[in-house]
Amino acid sequence: MRTLHAEWTKLRTLRGNAWLTLAVAGGTIAASVAAAATVNTANCPSPAECFEDTAKLSLAGVWLGQVAVVLLAAALVGGEYGCGLIRATLAAQPRRHTVLATKAAVLSATVAVAGTLGVLGALLAGRILLPGNGFNAANGYPPVSVTDPATLRAAAGSVIYLVLVGLLALGVATLVRSSAGALTAVMALLFVAPLLVRLVTDPDWRDRLEPLAPMTAGLAIQATRDLERLPIAPWAGLGVLAAWSVAALVTGGVAFAARDQ
Amino acid sequence: MIRLLRAEWTKLRTVPRWMATLAAAVLLTILVAVASAAASASSSAGGGGGGGPSTPPTFEDAGHFVHRTLAGDGGLVAHVAAQADSQQSAKAGIMIRAGAERDTAYAAVFVTPDHGVRLQSGHGAIDIAGSASGASRWLRLDRDGTTVTGYESANGRDWSRVGSARLGGLTGSAELGLFVASPNAVKVQRQFGGENIDEMPTIGEATFDNLRADPAADGPWQDTDRSIVPEHSRFTEAGGTVTLAGSGDVGPLSQYGPDLTRMTLAGVLLGLMAVVALAVLFVTSEYKRGVIHLTFAANPARVRVLAAKALVLGAATFAAGLVASFGAFLAGSAIAAPNGFSTPSLADGTVLRAVVGTAALLAVVAVFSLAVATILRRSAAAITVVLLLLLVPYILATGLPLGVAAWVTRLTPAAGFAIQDTVRRYDTAITPWAGFGVLCAYAAVALGVAAWRLRRRDA
Repeated sequence: MRTLHAEWTKLRTLRGNAWLTLAVAGGTIAASVAAAATVNTANCPSPAECFEDTAKLSLAGVWLGQVAVVLLAAALVGGEYGCGLIRATLAAQPRRHTVLATKAAVLSATVAVAGTLGVLGALLAGRILLPGNGFNAANGYPPVSVTDPATLRAAAGSVIYLVLVGLLALGVATLVRSSAGALTAVMALLFVAPLLVRLVTDPDWRDRLEPLAPMTAGLAIQATRDLERLPIAPWAGLGVLAAWSVAALVTGGVAFAARDQ
Repeated sequence: MIRLLRAEWTKLRTVPRWMATLAAAVLLTILVAVASAAASASSSAGGGGGGGPSTPPTFEDAGHFVHRTLAGDGGLVAHVAAQADSQQSAKAGIMIRAGAERDTAYAAVFVTPDHGVRLQSGHGAIDIAGSASGASRWLRLDRDGTTVTGYESANGRDWSRVGSARLGGLTGSAELGLFVASPNAVKVQRQFGGENIDEMPTIGEATFDNLRADPAADGPWQDTDRSIVPEHSRFTEAGGTVTLAGSGDVGPLSQYGPDLTRMTLAGVLLGLMAVVALAVLFVTSEYKRGVIHLTFAANPARVRVLAAKALVLGAATFAAGLVASFGAFLAGSAIAAPNGFSTPSLADGTVLRAVVGTAALLAVVAVFSLAVATILRRSAAAITVVLLLLLVPYILATGLPLGVAAWVTRLTPAAGFAIQDTVRRYDTAITPWAGFGVLCAYAAVALGVAAWRLRRRDA
C-alpha cells in the first residue's frame, strides 16, 4: 500500500506526467475531431454505400492518444533510470516485482481514467460532426451513441486498448531501462509493424501475419459493423495485444529482478 | 573545425550502444527487404506456370488493331468519321507497328475526345500534340524507312504535319492499320472506412471511312484484338466503312502498378526509427550527463559545435544508409529475380536515385532529429515529435480521404520519402526532388532555430 502511494505521488507530482495524462485525452479527442471533420461521403457511390463505421471513425483519435500513453509509461520507468531515482525506489522497496506491479497498477488506473475521458469526448465529437458530413440517419447512419451495444464494446475496448498499450510500453521500458529506447521500440512495434506486414505480397502470409501486429489486432475492437472483414475478431484481437503486453511485462519483470538495478 | 569534427566523431564512435543502433538500422533495413522478397517469391513459386523470368512490359499494349502488312515504305489515309466519347483520352486512328505481337515498337496518329490529335510512339516517350480537333478528322501516317510521320486534315486535301517519330525496330515489313484504344475510367471510391481507386474498363468505338492505302492494298484485314473486355470488341467493314470497338489503352504504363524499387527499400522505415533515436541521444545525452558543459568550455562557439555534430552525424548515417539501401536493394532483387519477378536495375537513373536517395533520406532525417533534440533537449519529446511527423501520413493514408492524406504528405517531413519513388502512381503526392526538398527545408529551419536557441540559452 505504501508502495502504491509512493508510485502515485511520483506520477502525480511530475508536471510532465500531468501534461502527458492530459495529452492522452486531448490527443484522442483532437485526432478524432480531425478525422470526423474531414471524412465525408463525396467519393462514395451513394452515402449509404460508404459502409462507413461511424463509431470506429469517431474513435480514430485513439491512435494519437496511444502515443501519449507510451510516453507516459516510458517516463514512469525510463525517467527513474535517467535521473537515478531508481536507486531510492529500490532502497525503499527492495521487492522488485512489487515495484513493477505497483507501477503497472498506477499507470493502468491513470490511463483508464484519461482514456475514458478521451474516448467519450471522441464519441461526442463524432456524434456532433459526422451528421454534417452526410453520415446521418437519413442515409442509414444512426448517431453515434454509447447505448448501442456494439459502440459500447468499441468504446470500452478502446480504453482497455490504451491500458494494454501502456502496460506493453511499461514492460519494454523496464527491459531497456531508457525512455528513448522504449519509446522507439514501442512506436516501431505499433506503427511500423502493420506497414511492413502490408508489404508481404503473399496473401496467405499476409493474412497470417496481420492479426499478430499489436495495433492492427488491438484496434479491431473498434469495429462495429462488417466484422467479417476484420483480420481478427474484436475480442480476440484485444487478446493478441494483451499477450504482447503480458510478454513485455514478464520479460521486463524477469530482467528487472535478475539485473543489478 | 577539424579538431571539433574529430571530437564529435570520437563521441559518436566510442559509445557501443550507438554503434550497435547504427548497425541495427542497417540490418533491419536489409532484413525487411529479404523477408518481404522471400515471402513474395514463395507466393510466385506457388502460382506455378510461366516459363523463365518475364521482362516487364514497357508500355500498355491493349486495344483493337486491324492491319495489313506493309512490305516497305508507304502510308495510309483514313477519315475518322465518328468516335465514341468513352474516355477523355480514348484513341482512334492509324497505327504502324514492327509486328502484330505484344510490346513491339509502334507509332500512331489518332484523335481523342478531349486531348486533340496526337502522335504517340514507343514507351510514351514521344507524345506530340496536333490540333485540338476531335472526330471527324482526316488522318494520314507515312512510313519512310524507320521514320514515321503523321498528318491531319479537316477536309482530306489540305494536310498539316503533326510530327514524326523514328522507330529503331521498324526494319523490313511492318503492320499498318486502324486502331481504337480506350484507357480505363478511374474512380476514387470510399467504402468500408478507406478510400481506394477503382478502375473500370471503357469501350472505345470509332467509324473510319475513305481509307486509302499507298501502295494500294486490297487484301483482308488482319484482326489483332488485345482488348481488356474482348466480348465487347467489334470489327465490321461494309462499303469502305470500318467500325472498330475495343478496350484498354496503348501508351505509357498506367499509374496503378507496384513500385518494386520502393518496396525493396521499405524496410528503411525501421532503420529510420533507430537513426532518429540515435540522433536525438547524440545531443540529449550530453545534456543529461553534463558533457555539454565540457563541450562548450572547450569550444565556446556553440553554433560550430552544432554544425560539427550535424556534419559528423549526417556523414555517418549517410554511409550507414548507403550500406543499408544498397544491401536491401541487392538482397531484395537477388531473391526475387529467379522467381519470375522482373527486377529494377541500378543502371536505371531513377532507381539509382531512389537507392542513393534513401541513404540521403536517413542522413537528413538524422540531422533534423539532432536539431529538434537541440531545441527540446528532451529525448522522449524529440523522438516523439520526429517520429509522429514522419509516420503520420502513413497512418492517415489508411483512413482519411486521399486528398487530405496527400496534403499531409506534402506538408510534413514525410514528403522526403518521395525520393524513393520510381513510378508515378495515382497516390503520388509530390515529385521526388520536391518531396526531398520539403524534408531538407524542415531540417534547415530546425537547425536554424536550434542554432539561435543555443546561442540565446544557457546550456
